[in-house]
Amino acid sequence: MRREVQQEELLRVPVHMKLHYRFPAGAHYERFFKEMKETGRIMGVRCPECRRVLVPPRPVCGECFARTEEWVQVGPKGTVVAYTSICFSFIDLTTGKPRPIPYGAGLIQLDGAYSAINHILEEGDPGKLYIGMRVEAVLKEKREGNIGDILYFKGIEE
Amino acid sequence: MGKRAAIIGTGQTNHCSSREDVNEMELVYEAATAALKDAEMTIKDIDAVVLANMELFEGRALPDMWCGEGAGAFMKHAFKISTGGTSGTSGAISGYYHVASGLFDRVMVVGFEKHSEGDASGGMALTDPFWDRHIAAAAIGNFALSVSAYMADRGVTEEQSAKVAVKARRNACNNPHAHLQMPDLTVKEVLESPILAYPVHRLEMCPQSDGACAIIFASEEIAKKRCPRPAWVRAAVTRHDHIYLGEVKNRLSTMRSLREAAKAAYEIVGIKEPLKEFDVAEIYDPLTYAEIAWYEALGFCKDGEGGMLIDGGVTQMDGELPVNPSGGVISTNPVGASGTIRVAEGALQIHGRGGKRQVPDVNLALVTGYGVYCWSDVLILSSKPY
Ligand SMILES: [Zn+2]
Repeated sequence: MRREVQQEELLRVPVHMKLHYRFPAGAHYERFFKEMKETGRIMGVRCPECRRVLVPPRPVCGECFARTEEWVQVGPKGTVVAYTSICFSFIDLTTGKPRPIPYGAGLIQLDGAYSAINHILEEGDPGKLYIGMRVEAVLKEKREGNIGDILYFKGIEE
Repeated sequence: MGKRAAIIGTGQTNHCSSREDVNEMELVYEAATAALKDAEMTIKDIDAVVLANMELFEGRALPDMWCGEGAGAFMKHAFKISTGGTSGTSGAISGYYHVASGLFDRVMVVGFEKHSEGDASGGMALTDPFWDRHIAAAAIGNFALSVSAYMADRGVTEEQSAKVAVKARRNACNNPHAHLQMPDLTVKEVLESPILAYPVHRLEMCPQSDGACAIIFASEEIAKKRCPRPAWVRAAVTRHDHIYLGEVKNRLSTMRSLREAAKAAYEIVGIKEPLKEFDVAEIYDPLTYAEIAWYEALGFCKDGEGGMLIDGGVTQMDGELPVNPSGGVISTNPVGASGTIRVAEGALQIHGRGGKRQVPDVNLALVTGYGVYCWSDVLILSSKPY
């Protein structure tokens, strides 16, 4: 069923777009990002029903369909529960430029939190990463109020 | 329980990395006309059309509008399902619901994707703007994260993973529609292909394909009249898990949504020993490690024994339960169609129209879909209506 055509004969219509969006964070995420920006503290919320501490701090617990109100400080130390080393070029969506490879990425369970968050690991060599590795969040000096205020997680000795 | 419904016809395009000879509407038309021909119907026979597509990849809003006419939706009841990787299976489940409701008798579902037109990694990255975009690394990055935990938890090896890739690409050689057909692929070659994200090699991941697939569902009366061996839908279940990757801890090890969907579907049909009772399975395997994890989540074996199934050849074409005779998603992946293809391939096996990839005497087929990192669909198709 395939039409026989030479590549150079094909008509293609190229489109390049620059689009603009803005996303209101909502009260919970706003508090999380403001707290991290102003005090460097990482906060989670506890579900009143299942008592799980959620990070990101969602206004509604998905499992219980209950509003979350109780704020709890978590981290900045945590444990790597999954890791990888990214070896293919991928656009950093905050800069529009490819992130230098390879780099480490992990799921980090912050101390005191039920859920883990995915973030960048300072260590990019998979031979040096392991599950159960203890890490600590390294924050930016000049914070802007987004998740990029955590630069990465670095390995720590305890 | 709804009214009985069956799949009576399927149609697919030939899937490949780039179908630049057609636009998306023509691609959809190819699959729709193939399915109508298979069911010996014309578009006049169709009451309703369901389209399935992962919208953002082609950067075009309202794909149901631009492609609807190609699927014969003009002046018919028509709408679109878009749930990431599960779009195709959820679209099929929607088609089934239409007929099972008793409100429609003949429904066509068309899943489609034209990866070559756009930017799939970009589309994947348009996720939650607060948490995910700073660190997004497409499907591969997400998977690789889970693979490390799965390997540590269950002791699955790189060799076992590579064997899944070899099985898939060899099975694909029997499927004239498949994208990656590699008859001579070896475990060594898979493990020597470049690492995309540790420990996942390029040849362990699904490709990006252009392609479309259509399925025709019919009510009991019409199915019995028009199809010598209808593929009856005996169960169709969908489950969605939490939204953030980090909350679906031990994702491949637990795969809660797939486990729960399978449990519910097995209960409806009365399946106790899936490995023995199913004659064939077409499961949505986005990468090799996932296929092994799904063996466990689907109850083909105990947790921790998935690697042994591939070592023992149990899921090969001549094994106890052939998994993905079509070559699976690892061989062919036009995302919006990938789930629809699973359903079509399961139905094809019951119709007995599988050609070189036909498994002998198929009466019960298991089909799954997988979306984002934690959504699952399970369908059970049977040669018997009850
Ligand atoms: Zn809760």
